Amino acid sequence: MSETLPRYRRWLRALGGLTRRQLRFTLMLVGASWGVVREACRPTSWRRTVIYEFKSTLRQAAGGGLFSTLFTAGLTGFGIVAQAIYWLGIAGMADTTDSLLATVLVREIAPVLVGVILLGRSGMLSLTQLGQLTLGGELRALQGQGIDPFLTLVMPRALAMMLSSFTLGVVFSLTSLSVGYGVCRLHSIITMPLWTFLYDIVGAMKPIDYVGIPLKLIISGFLLSLSTQLTGLDATRSDTIATLLPRGFARGILVIMVTNVILGVLVA
Amino acid sequence: MSDDLHAALELREACPRFEESGLTSVPYSVRLMPGDCMLVACRDPVRATRFADLCSGLIPLLSGQALCMGLDWDHLPEHRAWALRGRIGRVMQQGAWIDLFGTDLNILVQQLHHTRTPTEDLVAQAITLSRRFGLPGLPTLSPGRLNNADRARAACVRAFMGEPKLLILEDPVDLETADMMTAFLAELTAARERGCGVIWFSREPDLWHGYNAAGTRRFRLLDEGLMPMKQGV
Repeated sequence: MSETLPRYRRWLRALGGLTRRQLRFTLMLVGASWGVVREACRPTSWRRTVIYEFKSTLRQAAGGGLFSTLFTAGLTGFGIVAQAIYWLGIAGMADTTDSLLATVLVREIAPVLVGVILLGRSGMLSLTQLGQLTLGGELRALQGQGIDPFLTLVMPRALAMMLSSFTLGVVFSLTSLSVGYGVCRLHSIITMPLWTFLYDIVGAMKPIDYVGIPLKLIISGFLLSLSTQLTGLDATRSDTIATLLPRGFARGILVIMVTNVILGVLVA
Repeated sequence: MSDDLHAALELREACPRFEESGLTSVPYSVRLMPGDCMLVACRDPVRATRFADLCSGLIPLLSGQALCMGLDWDHLPEHRAWALRGRIGRVMQQGAWIDLFGTDLNILVQQLHHTRTPTEDLVAQAITLSRRFGLPGLPTLSPGRLNNADRARAACVRAFMGEPKLLILEDPVDLETADMMTAFLAELTAARERGCGVIWFSREPDLWHGYNAAGTRRFRLLDEGLMPMKQGV
């Protein structure tokens, strides 16, 4: 059959095959994202099993990740916020402190660090669980009972991670700014009250940031969850957890960075 | 007996795709009416699982038709196919238990997903069935921490939950769990009287010796296909 095709069509076929192979996971991610949105809009999708999975993932991701987020935010507040306030004050650029913190910390650092925390704490857990279910044939057993793994596992987990990402992002920003303020106040570098400090930072944010920052948190949490879950579901017979984990981690990091860069450029 | 005129399961020259199923691509034909029972001897548990998947519409066909309760798996919209599978009670051998949940949730998950029966009623039904099968109550440990006999009992509880229309049982009772045969046969008979079609796979056909109820046929599942066996073999 292939010998009878003209040369240019064989070349086009090879090019198409290569493109599809390279873009396979991205296309899967796009398709799964649309699937989650479509299923989530159907009231009949929200069955007891789906709600159970949504709640337990929310508890695991937002509740379980809270301490890690607070700790990381504390360190960030100490290391970045306090240092920025101190050195900008020394350099006589104290006026730019608010806009710098709003731009660097709230808009750029918070979504990335929260994404990394979620990837490590919840994304990799999802990947391991779904990978084991796929490799052990348990997903097939679930299908045999008429339970769609996409509806029961993937959709609620992706939505719960999306919500967790937003929640933890807000907690991270508030905590890091508060800790940074506390350190500077302790050393008498700034004397204004906390509310004035926070008000100035909020005032330094542009209107578009009120869309861009939540979008970054929501989309990176959503895609990060989907990418790790799809990596687990896409496991083949030659895969083991040892091969799935590095692949899932690399894809997760890539998704966080690409989402943040694209949204940073588009919604700046 | 049920008044349903549709076969609980019907395979019409159904030829599975080998590459996606591992089941030999030969045409399978069988008709199981409500209340009937097929006893299938199969030495290979993987082949039995694949055939059970074929009956559940999980295996694509090269040709022919597979119908469950009169509905062709190939022509059913996805949502309806999932719902129809929810009416099938299965005892599975391959990857039957999900260790992410306790055994109780593993038992209840199908009913929780497909019905709106209050959870308390489902739990009460599961407890009753568990006791009938010789368990002290609804097991809450993870499936991996139960011994083989208790897992087999829990598998039967799960399969009989919610009065299924079709039961596909892969080695529900073996020599190790032969003590629950009486309870198993009682539940099986009750299910058949309600109009449930039953496919019972076994690696040990000797276990069927005492089971010769009306409407029961015997088959052997081989690489060559589904072969009828003589009655009483």
